[in-house]
Amino acid sequence: MNKLYLWGIIVTIAMLGATYLSVGMSKGGINGDIVNMLAIAGAVALVIITVFVVIKYVRQMQTDTAEGELADESWDNIGEYKNPLPFGWAIMFLGTMIWGMWYMLVGYPVNAYSQIGEYNEDVAAHNAKFNTQYASITGDRLIEMGESVFLAECKVCHGLSADGIDGKAANLNVRLEANTVKHVIENGSNNQLLGSEMPMPDRNGLFNMNSGALITDAEIAAVSAYVADGMDASNKAGAEAFAGVCASCHGPDGMGMEYVAPSIAAFNPTLVTNVLNHGKKGVIGTMPAFERLNAKQKEAVGAYITSLSAK
Amino acid sequence: MENRPLGYDYTVAKMFMLTTIVLGIVGMLIGVILAFELAFPSINTILGSGLAEYTNFSRLRPLHTDAVIFGFTISGVFATWYYVGQRVLKVNMAESPLLMFLGKLQFWLYVVTVAAVVVSLLAGVTTSKEYAEFEWPIDLAIVVVWVLFGVNMFGLIGMRREKSLYISVWYYIATFLGIAMLYLFNNMEVPTMLATSAAGETGIGSWYHSVSMYAGTNDALVQWWYGHNAVAFGFTVPIVAMIYYFLPKESGQAIYSYKLSLLSFWGLMFVYLWAGGHHLLFSTVPDWMQTMGSIFSIVLILPSWGSAINMLLTMKGEWQQVAASPLIKFMVLGSTFYMFSTLEGPIQAIKSVNAIAHFTDWIVGHVHDGVLGWVGFMIMAALYHMAPRVFKREIYSKSLMASQFWIQTLGVVLYFTSMWIAGITQGMMWRAHDEFGNLAYSFIDTVTVLHPYYAIRGVGGLLYLIGFLMFAYNIYKTMTAGKPLEKEPANASPMGA
Amino acid sequence: MFHWLEKNPFFFAVGVFVTIAFAGLIEIVPNFAEASRPVIGTTPYSTLELAGRNVYIKNSCNACHSQLIRPFKSETDRYGHYSLSGEYAFDRPFLWGSKRTGPDLHRVGNYRTTDWHENHMKDPAAVVPGSIMPKYTWMYTNLADIDTAFAEQLTVNQFFAVPYNKPVPMKDGSTTVVKMGGSVAEANALALAEAKEIVKDMKDQDVKDAVASGKIPEIVALIAYMNSLK
Ligand code: HEC
Ligand code: HEC
Ligand code: HEC
Ligand code: HEM
Ligand code: HEM
Ligand SMILES: [Ca+2]
Ligand SMILES: [Ca+2]
Ligand SMILES: [Cu+2]
Repeated sequence: MNKLYLWGIIVTIAMLGATYLSVGMSKGGINGDIVNMLAIAGAVALVIITVFVVIKYVRQMQTDTAEGELADESWDNIGEYKNPLPFGWAIMFLGTMIWGMWYMLVGYPVNAYSQIGEYNEDVAAHNAKFNTQYASITGDRLIEMGESVFLAECKVCHGLSADGIDGKAANLNVRLEANTVKHVIENGSNNQLLGSEMPMPDRNGLFNMNSGALITDAEIAAVSAYVADGMDASNKAGAEAFAGVCASCHGPDGMGMEYVAPSIAAFNPTLVTNVLNHGKKGVIGTMPAFERLNAKQKEAVGAYITSLSAK
Repeated sequence: MENRPLGYDYTVAKMFMLTTIVLGIVGMLIGVILAFELAFPSINTILGSGLAEYTNFSRLRPLHTDAVIFGFTISGVFATWYYVGQRVLKVNMAESPLLMFLGKLQFWLYVVTVAAVVVSLLAGVTTSKEYAEFEWPIDLAIVVVWVLFGVNMFGLIGMRREKSLYISVWYYIATFLGIAMLYLFNNMEVPTMLATSAAGETGIGSWYHSVSMYAGTNDALVQWWYGHNAVAFGFTVPIVAMIYYFLPKESGQAIYSYKLSLLSFWGLMFVYLWAGGHHLLFSTVPDWMQTMGSIFSIVLILPSWGSAINMLLTMKGEWQQVAASPLIKFMVLGSTFYMFSTLEGPIQAIKSVNAIAHFTDWIVGHVHDGVLGWVGFMIMAALYHMAPRVFKREIYSKSLMASQFWIQTLGVVLYFTSMWIAGITQGMMWRAHDEFGNLAYSFIDTVTVLHPYYAIRGVGGLLYLIGFLMFAYNIYKTMTAGKPLEKEPANASPMGA
Repeated sequence: MFHWLEKNPFFFAVGVFVTIAFAGLIEIVPNFAEASRPVIGTTPYSTLELAGRNVYIKNSCNACHSQLIRPFKSETDRYGHYSLSGEYAFDRPFLWGSKRTGPDLHRVGNYRTTDWHENHMKDPAAVVPGSIMPKYTWMYTNLADIDTAFAEQLTVNQFFAVPYNKPVPMKDGSTTVVKMGGSVAEANALALAEAKEIVKDMKDQDVKDAVASGKIPEIVALIAYMNSLK
């Protein structure tokens, strides 16, 4: 076999093999996605056509001889043959022009296609599939789904292991950290954590029903540590302050009360959903709202976050 | 023959040969730095964090593109024009002192403009439009340089002894007109110093700052009408002009077909301008413009391939020359890469393919197939061919040229294969949804997978740069130490061992 | 006919010019007026935002970041609603970009926040491990060019009728007015007021001090611009 063809085949196989490997390794892959398949087909066509057309002309360089009638002129001694157009080239040029005309005038006349229309169809199809396949997911599958949302959307702030990257965002492996609790007590909180406007007062509105006085610095320090440590009863001062100041709204166990105050003892999907709906501004920084997630995705990521600190 | 001038004056050609080489080294060196910055981000602060403002990827990137386009390539166009123009028109520049003066003026003004560009881009003075980053004072200088170029071109044409224009001259004329039209319209901007505040203050803020005449989608349309055709009239048309002269001249072969030249030329002129829409697929420009961009891109394969085929057929029956001369190898492989990128481009212009390819490294791969394999190879070949005739000496070393050829070929192959894989991988990862219908990857996952490909690209680019330095050295040695030639070689350039 | 042209450079050049010029006319002109109309809810940039936009341009962030969300499910999932032509009506120049080495930023204001940008711009890889984005540490000390941003507002207002100090319709039926200073001093005061709001959410003490003393570092302007991208 001619050495050229051998090289042509080697180049082709190398390019396509490398592409296959890289595509095969990614999760999306070809997976019946028409766009992916067309891109790969294009890449394949590109290599094969170029390699074999070039081989054709190299063969001509190797075997043919130059001949034909020369034109009269010669520019700096460069001559010019009056050879006819290469037939294949001429036909294809004409062919593509006719195809272009046909495409614009007959095939897909101006405005026959709308990219937004296509997008809407695509989204509708996706949503229909989503509703039949995933809308009823629960339990571990729900948590898995939530993890997938977390890894795509949340890890840039909260970190791969949800630890908040050194205090750059909330550490989601624990419900609350002491500085957040302290900040909220001192400044109040107004983040619609219950899903609707229901602020928590700042320290000037927090009475200790046992002492009958406004909450004190010592009580704030104690109760912050108490909440952050997961309400460990060995912290007596904290427990007392909690019972006196916080329990009336957050419940004696801190698990929250509907319409009154959110749970500060544990995460639950509703709380997370509320954070995702309204965002949250606190001592660490600002957490953006996530309008582009749907209700199921929010519930799922809520379940995932709940599972992190439940262990 | 009596009609022929006794000699040609290459003063201006030599000047631009110098800037071609110097700016080529600068531009490609920055390219290599950029490539390694993407693979190893710590290189962004290579000169310390105090200077990081001037060494980081984003400040340097426009400097790379502008140095290789307006520096390396355009210098190459000027250098070859001031060589080829005289010869195919049968005039000597020295016959007109005015043209000589304007040619030198053009060169010095060009050098000053380049210096201003380097300083301003490093300082972050840019309008952000790709390949049209310069603020209006530099635009004005560029217009003057370009007009001087045009005056020279048409001046020489006006003085010609050869009545009919050679194919290369068609392409040079088109280069001049095309760039002039595109550059002017894309750079329409209003200097902000013209505004007056309610309190009557004027000349507020930086004097060189301006705002584009066009807003949003319109600005995008004008920009990519420009950007696409800057490729046409900067990276294609003048390079075709070069190959139509240097390949037949070096090989001593006659052009395969006049008809093919003619149809390719007018076909290219007509079709190219319509294809710009392929840079705006799935954007907010109307669907019909995008469709036109796709269709004309496909049609464009043929006029592009026409010239490449014409060149390959010119070498028909001359395989021994391709095998023997590294100079001819550069040109033959150049046409091959030209065919590759003008087939790759149209494929990327198909809407569904562009949905994946756009915004990814596959486009960067496509760019460098063209610029490294076609533009770079052709300009180096042209200068190699010119050197013995301009300096009246043998090319210093043939074996150095041959090694350079293989090193750079390997460099180009590493560059485009790695970017091809990187682009397709990234494009598919962006689109991927997982089993739950969520996005499968966060953005950063699609960045970290590219690391090996970025590293390979860096190596490929480094090889290309090394080859370019070998080229610069070879030309330098030719000038200073090449064996002197008694008379000008008719064809095959003489080369030392 | 062609041989004749090839002997007549003037007509040859005219022929080339006509061939290349009219495609531009047909492709660009028809949609020109249509594309420049803002969609409801698009407001002109404030002085500080514009100064931040110029910081973005100065550092060629557009070399790595696009601002164009294409109408694909995968992109609207990642970045939000696909981009609309009228949203760019006040963008001079446009900043769509042509390479996504980093993510699209057209709506980044919806899902990233001041404190996050503050951490991220200083050291991207510390926030997003594996990030290849450069550190932009000098933005924390270089001062933003408010005067030029003001000159730019005046220019677009006077030459292109961009509506400053005028009610602009919003999506909910209300209107907003984006203020532009009457003098350089007034413009600087407006920008400073806006900067003060932003540094409230920032932690870098040097930046806070600078703003407190009336100076505006580039990072503050840039964050104002990032937050305006919605
Ligand atoms: C008057 C009722 C009330 C009392 C008393 C009260 N809270 Fe709250 N708390 C709320 C409400 C309502 C919210 C939700 C506010 C919001 O939407 O931002 C809240 C939120 C919180 C949060 C924020 C949770 C988060 O995820 O950011 C913390 C922490 C908290 N409370 C701790 C306490 C502690 C500790 C005490 C006692 C010292 C206390 N609260 C007393 C009503 C109360
Ligand atoms: C731009 C950065 C950013 C992104 C993206 C982000 N977060 Fe946050 N998030 C924060 C910050 C900062 C806080 C802390 C706010 C505070 O309390 O100071 C936070 C707080 C939270 C809280 C409240 C924790 C608490 O104890 O009250 C939850 C729940 C949360 N994020 C979940 C998520 C989820 C789920 C996602 C992804 C869908 C997400 N976040 C994406 C920055 C972010
Ligand atoms: C070398 C390429 C590069 C340059 C230049 C660059 N970025 Fe980035 N950018 C990235 C990459 C990669 C990411 C994704 C990883 C991360 O978040 O750091 C990113 C992420 C971001 C994000 C987060 C967006 C999101 O959705 O998570 C913002 C905001 C951003 N960059 C702003 C900028 C600004 C402003 C500039 C210019 C001053 C800039 N970038 C320059 C590569 C770059
Ligand atoms: C038939 C000819 C060609 C066609 C149809 C074509 C098509 C394309 C397409 C579709 C893109 C990508 C646009 C995007 O999605 O961002 C592109 C980009 C590009 N091409 Fe080509 N191409 C052709 C030939 C060439 C050649 C020969 C070169 C160089 C020598 C070249 C240089 C470029 C450059 C520099 C870009 C990048 C533009 C940017 O900054 O985004 N093209 N081309
Ligand atoms: C030594 C060889 C070179 C190397 C290593 C190199 C590297 C690079 C890199 C890293 C980029 C940025 C890609 C990105 O943003 O992801 C780039 C862009 C670019 N380079 Fe080069 N380059 C080289 C030579 C050249 C030459 C010789 C030319 C032109 C004659 C050229 C023209 C361009 C253009 C037009 C772009 C912009 C592409 C786009 O926006 O899509 N490069 N190059
Ligand atoms: Ca300009
Ligand atoms: Ca680009
Ligand atoms: Cu193009």
